[in-house]
Amino acid sequence: MSVPILRQGDVLIASIQVAQTDEDLRGLRDQLATEVGSQRAKGVIIDVTALDVMDSFATRTLRAIAYSSRLRGAHTVVVGIQPDVAFAMVQLGLDLGAVSTALDLDDAIDELRARRSEESRA
Amino acid sequence: MTNERSESEDGAVALEMGLNEQSIERRHKAVTLLPEDLARIARIREAVARRAEEFGKSFFDYLAGLDDARDFMRNAEAVHRARQLKIEHLAAMVGGNYGMEYALQRLKLARVYSRAGLETRIFLGAFHHLLRLVGTAILKSARSPEEAFEDFMALKKVAFFDIGIIVDVMVFERERVIRRQQEAIRELTTPVLQIRDRLLMLPIIGTIDTHRARMLTEGLLHSIRVNRAKVVVMDVTGVAAVDTKVANHLLQTVAASRLMGAMVIVTGLSAEVSQTLVNLGVDLAGLRTIGDLQGGIEEAEQLLGYQMSRIDRPKVAGVLSPSN
Repeated sequence: MSVPILRQGDVLIASIQVAQTDEDLRGLRDQLATEVGSQRAKGVIIDVTALDVMDSFATRTLRAIAYSSRLRGAHTVVVGIQPDVAFAMVQLGLDLGAVSTALDLDDAIDELRARRSEESRA
Repeated sequence: MTNERSESEDGAVALEMGLNEQSIERRHKAVTLLPEDLARIARIREAVARRAEEFGKSFFDYLAGLDDARDFMRNAEAVHRARQLKIEHLAAMVGGNYGMEYALQRLKLARVYSRAGLETRIFLGAFHHLLRLVGTAILKSARSPEEAFEDFMALKKVAFFDIGIIVDVMVFERERVIRRQQEAIRELTTPVLQIRDRLLMLPIIGTIDTHRARMLTEGLLHSIRVNRAKVVVMDVTGVAAVDTKVANHLLQTVAASRLMGAMVIVTGLSAEVSQTLVNLGVDLAGLRTIGDLQGGIEEAEQLLGYQMSRIDRPKVAGVLSPSN
């Protein structure tokens, strides 16, 4: 099932609602890569609240999304990793690298805003 | 009232121990209690049941003569109750019914013993003394020594069946105390405290093993979600030794918290601990560490945008400004 991508100002929000196959995730990655350019987005938020499993492929794809969006000028925040999921990921040695994380959508938007004002000041 | 309560507790203990019809059946098999044994026991029923009271008294007299049983004998209430149960026991022992009800009676008596602090070995000594008395009585009433021996061996099967239950219950009770204490310790030592909006503190005291690290991490992750925390100050002043394993646990906790969008500041790594870590070659580069708890909290407040300042006049007289 493909993930709808919403646009809020210059932020793209992808909310994953059901368990994704590897194919779905690849689709999401490609779609985001295109839309970051076409929508001229400055931020990407990926909401994984509904996921209760996060495997190595999902982790790698999230990382790939974040890095490629970065190259196109958008900062990515992953939100809503559940406590059990976080614990399992750490146990399995999965890592989101330098990707930002936030507790929920509110925090993610705050984070993107803070980052923007910092950049404009610099 | 107390009797009723302890009775329902007895049932709960039996359930927890897995004492049921099937396991009693297996216990019978373990001592090879056969129908012909029941017939033999029926033969001696009269001789033993008649003197149950006397034997019961002798059992406690024997205990009274032992130094190690002194604490138990001082507990008048327990002794009184145990004496009652013991006499019932002797009558039931030759009663021929060794099912669930009989087992529950044994369990009840064993719990009286263990609550009053009677040691298993002391109980076994006194029980042996009791069996000797019963054996002598059987010998006297029997027609021939051979018959007496056979009857007594039949009864001995029941006696060993009893010992099996009683010892199991006494061990179980002792383990239960240990389990309860362990749980209490576990709960006590992993508090997650909120000290400001979106700022949590996690003081860790004692040793960290894999199990505890897991509990700790789980507790912290849930608190992060419930309190919507952004920053966590983890204080390890109370952790006596930090080695590679503990450091790894800490790193995992920090990584998991980060996945949930919270930043962890580790404080309280003492001079010795930090030296050991360096010597061990543990890489704590992924950790944000600050010397002491105060520093950690100050840093956290700054990250959250709090600005702390002292009002001019302290509200507590004499503090900081003795002249005022």
